[in-house]
Amino acid sequence: MAVFEARGVSKFFPGVKALQGVSLTLEPGSIHALLGENGAGKSTLIKIITGVHRPDEGQLLLDGKPVEFGGPRDATAHQIGVVHQERNLIPRFSVGENIALEQLAGHPLRRVDYGKVNETARHWLKVLDLDIDPRIPVSQLSVAKMQLVEIAKALSLKSRVLLLDEPTAALTPHETDILFGLLRRLRDEGVSMLFVSHKLEEVQAICDRVTVLRDGRNACESRSMQGLGRQDLVRLMIGRAELIADWPSRDHSRAPAALRLQGVSTTLGHRNVDLTLRKGEIVGLYGLVGAGRTELAKCILGQFPVTAGTIEVEGKPAKIRDVADAIHRVGIGYVSEDRKQEGLVLMHSVLENAGITVWRRLARRFGFLTDGMVRAKTEPFIRRLAVRTPSLGQLVGNLSGGNQQKISVAKWLAAGVKVLIVDEPSVGIDIKTKAELHELLRELSETGTAILLITSDMPEMITLADRIVVMNAYRIEGEITNTRDYRAMSEGIMNLIHRVEAA
Amino acid sequence: MGPLSRYARTDWFGPLLVTVLAIVIVGAFNPSFLSPLNIQVLLLAISVNALIAFSQMIIIAVGQMNLSVGAIGGLAAISFAGMMQVWGLPAPVAAVLALLIGLGAGMVNGAFIAWTGISAFVITLASLSMFKGINLGITQAQPFYGIPDAVKAFGNTTFIDPLPWLVLPTALVAAGLWFLLNRQALGRFILAVGGNQHAAELSGISVGFTVVAAHAISGLLAALAGIMLVARLQIGQPTIGDDWLILSFAAPVIGGAVLSGGHVSVSATLLGVVIVAIITQALVLFNIDPFLVQVVLGVLILWAVGINRLRELRLRKAATAGA
Repeated sequence: MAVFEARGVSKFFPGVKALQGVSLTLEPGSIHALLGENGAGKSTLIKIITGVHRPDEGQLLLDGKPVEFGGPRDATAHQIGVVHQERNLIPRFSVGENIALEQLAGHPLRRVDYGKVNETARHWLKVLDLDIDPRIPVSQLSVAKMQLVEIAKALSLKSRVLLLDEPTAALTPHETDILFGLLRRLRDEGVSMLFVSHKLEEVQAICDRVTVLRDGRNACESRSMQGLGRQDLVRLMIGRAELIADWPSRDHSRAPAALRLQGVSTTLGHRNVDLTLRKGEIVGLYGLVGAGRTELAKCILGQFPVTAGTIEVEGKPAKIRDVADAIHRVGIGYVSEDRKQEGLVLMHSVLENAGITVWRRLARRFGFLTDGMVRAKTEPFIRRLAVRTPSLGQLVGNLSGGNQQKISVAKWLAAGVKVLIVDEPSVGIDIKTKAELHELLRELSETGTAILLITSDMPEMITLADRIVVMNAYRIEGEITNTRDYRAMSEGIMNLIHRVEAA
Repeated sequence: MGPLSRYARTDWFGPLLVTVLAIVIVGAFNPSFLSPLNIQVLLLAISVNALIAFSQMIIIAVGQMNLSVGAIGGLAAISFAGMMQVWGLPAPVAAVLALLIGLGAGMVNGAFIAWTGISAFVITLASLSMFKGINLGITQAQPFYGIPDAVKAFGNTTFIDPLPWLVLPTALVAAGLWFLLNRQALGRFILAVGGNQHAAELSGISVGFTVVAAHAISGLLAALAGIMLVARLQIGQPTIGDDWLILSFAAPVIGGAVLSGGHVSVSATLLGVVIVAIITQALVLFNIDPFLVQVVLGVLILWAVGINRLRELRLRKAATAGA
């Protein structure tokens, strides 16, 4: 019998139907893959299973009986353990105390018995074959070790259902192997696991069942992995290949370089990166989560130091001191992957957000600036993007995700940059807005702006990019000219990534 | 790793070094600094100031700040003095009631913060004004003079020369806080919420309860400081607490506390109080303008924050190198 079941679950957010009638059945002693593109509804489903969100329709069943979770603590109390994508450890606490924190919670007046805490922790660390002293603070561990400590923490709750949200993103192949060995052992002991990953080869290696989400619906529900090939999974994930717009191929090989990186190494760990963006060209930078793409963008922008190599903008060496320098002097713009945290000031109006990049240029003597001046500069772009907002005075936080994203692009159009770095532009926005955004980026490139497109969304990459550069483990692995033949392109990209992993 | 560099990583090592240096230097220039009488005066100041610092430290631990530390202390102080003078209550009863007022005031702060989700800065800014207003309403800005002799004696005599009675409550509080923060679940909750509130919540810790508890402790300690100050000054001054704010932050910060929460040290905070007291005294002994004390205190805070930042960077570097 199924340990856990989600039946016909729907979840609506203002303006977005995140999930519509999604079902999922977890069997005991099984590793179940949850697949889907970014924005397909995976994270919403995880949040429902872990009690962060409540479903608007449908129900959750545990051992066949309906349950409702009032919050994350409810879910853990029902032996649903989670290893979150983001760190959930208390950095100054010892490894042992982090693992045992759940057992302490709820007893504020109890004395903490560190002997017992460390003994429990040692047991779970041993289960994981981890050679970590439970007494050292978590802040002294590497990211990978922290990830494994989180797994130990989830296991220590004797979870019957264990959710692993991209658990390998920060792990080396060796650490991944250790983790997989452990997951198989847990499976044989009857634990039911839900494994979320973008790495299909991992899914094929370890999962026995699979549920695929697409646009908030089940593309397939809890079926066996038997007989499913990589291409079948991809087809389930992205649906029909016709999403790819039929734009003619362009050849920019004679255009002058807008941005050229030569032998660039950075403090974040990039080694010997060569990359050229020509005027009017869209170059896609593809890679798995953790490949170092966003990090490269931030180094180009001057947020983190470049330790070797040169960056040239329009043929001239550019010493970029900081982000302000990159924007105002050099002319490089960046649309952040995390628009809520880094791209927009949600509490400010549309006009203030769109104008933020031009204030410095427009400001007159003594920094004098009027709304009218900003409006004149930014309104044409907001109109062209068809941003659906009642007025320019509307707070950005009240707009839908797609419209927010349009505004974070609009502010760069107004700034008139030479190079625009766009990081995961269509995460969490619907298909129609996505198409509008694609047209906009294409148009922008026609006017001569060079665009570096960072995306994990393969169809988006093949729709937009003129050339695709593949990055893995902070190095450039190779480059393919986009022929817009989906199958050939995705195979070519995966081969480039694979070549490294096989080696 | 040698023993020296291991000590250098602790919070108390730097402040201890500064304390010893300060004692040696000031003592060399002015031998009367080490006279029993002067040591007694120093200890009196340290006893009260340590409680003020602890009252803020516990809130820093949970990742917030409490601007109303002085207002709560002042309110408890005049309540203590007023209940003895006006109602004729015996000192121990008045002290317990005044402590309860402090505890209650802290709980009100914590409850509002937990319930509304408004930042502690704003809530305690508002309650600072309210507590101070109540204080002035009760006292009409006039001090209470009717302090019993036993209380005055407690605040000004020694039990073994040169240790004043006031050292005792502070020593007990320091030991209790150390136990709370290092050995008791509630103290660990406070540090966990300060270190990573989200993770603490997902681990089943009730953030609201923890925040209220931290503010309650803070209020209690501020009230105790107020009561002890009444004993020492021998008068229930309505202005008690007005000048506590800077010191309350300075000592924990000198003691390596992380203002974003999750890390404080009782012993190092105590040393922070000692350093501030020594420097204040030294400036008096050397006849330096008392206004300069403020400037020196400011410099000291900046210096301490700088050292902490350096240590953090070095720790992080060591962590990445070891990974």
